[in-house]
Amino acid sequence: MIGPNGSGKTTLGKVLAGILKPTEGRAFLAGKDTRTLSLGAIGQAVGYLFQEPERQIFAPSVYEELAFVLRLQGKPPDVIDHAVNTMLGRFDLSALRDRFPFSLSRGEKQRLALAAVLVNSPDYLILDEPTTGLDLKNKRRLGGYLEELLDAGVGMMIISHDRAFATGYATRVIELSGGVVIRDSDRTLHRA
Amino acid sequence: MILTERFTGLDPRTKLVLVMVLSSLGVILQEVLLLGIVWFLTLSLAALFGVGWRPILRRSRMLFGIFAAMAIIQSVFTTGGHGFLWLGPVSVISSLGLERAGGVVLRLLIVVVSASIMATSSPREIVQGLSQWRIPYELAFMVAVAIRFLPLLRQEALETLTALQLRGVALEQLPWGRRLRVYSYLLMPMIAGVMSKSKELALAVEMRGFRAYSQRTAYRVLRPRPFDYAVGGGMLVGMGLFLWIVY
Ligand SMILES: Nc1ncnc2c1ncn2[C@@H]1O[C@H](COP(=O)(O)OP(=O)(O)OP(=O)(O)O)[C@@H](O)[C@H]1O
Ligand SMILES: [Mg+2]
Repeated sequence: MIGPNGSGKTTLGKVLAGILKPTEGRAFLAGKDTRTLSLGAIGQAVGYLFQEPERQIFAPSVYEELAFVLRLQGKPPDVIDHAVNTMLGRFDLSALRDRFPFSLSRGEKQRLALAAVLVNSPDYLILDEPTTGLDLKNKRRLGGYLEELLDAGVGMMIISHDRAFATGYATRVIELSGGVVIRDSDRTLHRA
Repeated sequence: MILTERFTGLDPRTKLVLVMVLSSLGVILQEVLLLGIVWFLTLSLAALFGVGWRPILRRSRMLFGIFAAMAIIQSVFTTGGHGFLWLGPVSVISSLGLERAGGVVLRLLIVVVSASIMATSSPREIVQGLSQWRIPYELAFMVAVAIRFLPLLRQEALETLTALQLRGVALEQLPWGRRLRVYSYLLMPMIAGVMSKSKELALAVEMRGFRAYSQRTAYRVLRPRPFDYAVGGGMLVGMGLFLWIVY
């Protein structure tokens, strides 16, 4: 989903994820009306990356940030440790594992937020501006990883004004402007 | 509503006196009946200031949970009054418990609602009022910032809770022990957010020359009018009389 600042991308993303309930019309997640679903239930199936990474940082250390949700879900410790370490490696965060997340740099926070969303291995992803603050190397890495997920059958929606990044992996491109869908390729594209 | 206008137009310092009188009474008084009288007085004053009923109602509803919890705790752990509901030898609801819980909730209500009277002045007026009371401008400014940021904080707490649930934490399915742990995870981003925001704010105001000069001039200077003295003085004398009659 692409479009200029203030065109409603984030708003539409939040409606699709059930964070905002539509005032008109209805939004469905896997065939269920989002109004009937609890946020917790949505969160277990859908990974939502907020545009501001600070929004989704909760724990006192980078490691803990990735581990605590799995722990709350009652996963066994060795499974948690393995999943967390894999993610730390993927997003180049291993050296920061004991750091206080709130004092990380912008790009590091972004990577942590991405890792935290993905460690839950969701079936579907909604990523709001996932490349913000990432340097070229990390952007490429993220791209490569998203491609792996696509190959594994994970669905995703990427919200971005980085047209090249958003459309590079897309099978459908929706363009918004002024709160209205002005273009929709409607599943005719093939992944680049 | 000319009357409402007269009251909201009062000097912020007069309002401060009023709020302090009401909340001191709320803290000093012990008996539920007296607290009830002060609560009634607070409500009438809030109405005079044009404070809407809806926010008051909403806040009262939030306090209802506290009332229920307090009533049970106080009933179980105090012996006195007579019990209405017994669980074996333990009184789960007793008259004393209800009375104490009522007292606590009335106090909270008095403080919260009387404070909303302050919100009828603009933050700028409050700063001006405080600094004319010779409170250092920096402090007065902080008070205004706090008033400005409190509603935002509430908003932020709600959004943080949303974000946490979206990480796949199904609050409604968790047992109580774990749910409490979840709430502890909410505190972290809120405290860190407040800290970093206040650091940034401090830096930003300094960069704009907040304390460049030791003296400040103000375009707007507050002058209390006779009505201010009447209301402020009346409240203070009223409080004195009230306490004298009661004790
Ligand atoms: N909570 C809100 N209350 C009122 N208006 C809002 C709110 N959130 C967003 N808006 C408005 O809705 C419009 C769309 O906002 P949205 O965040 O969806 O834009 P966006 O396409 O994501 O922009 P960006 O590229 O800057 O992220 C904007 O004009 C914004 O000001
Ligand atoms: Mg946006």
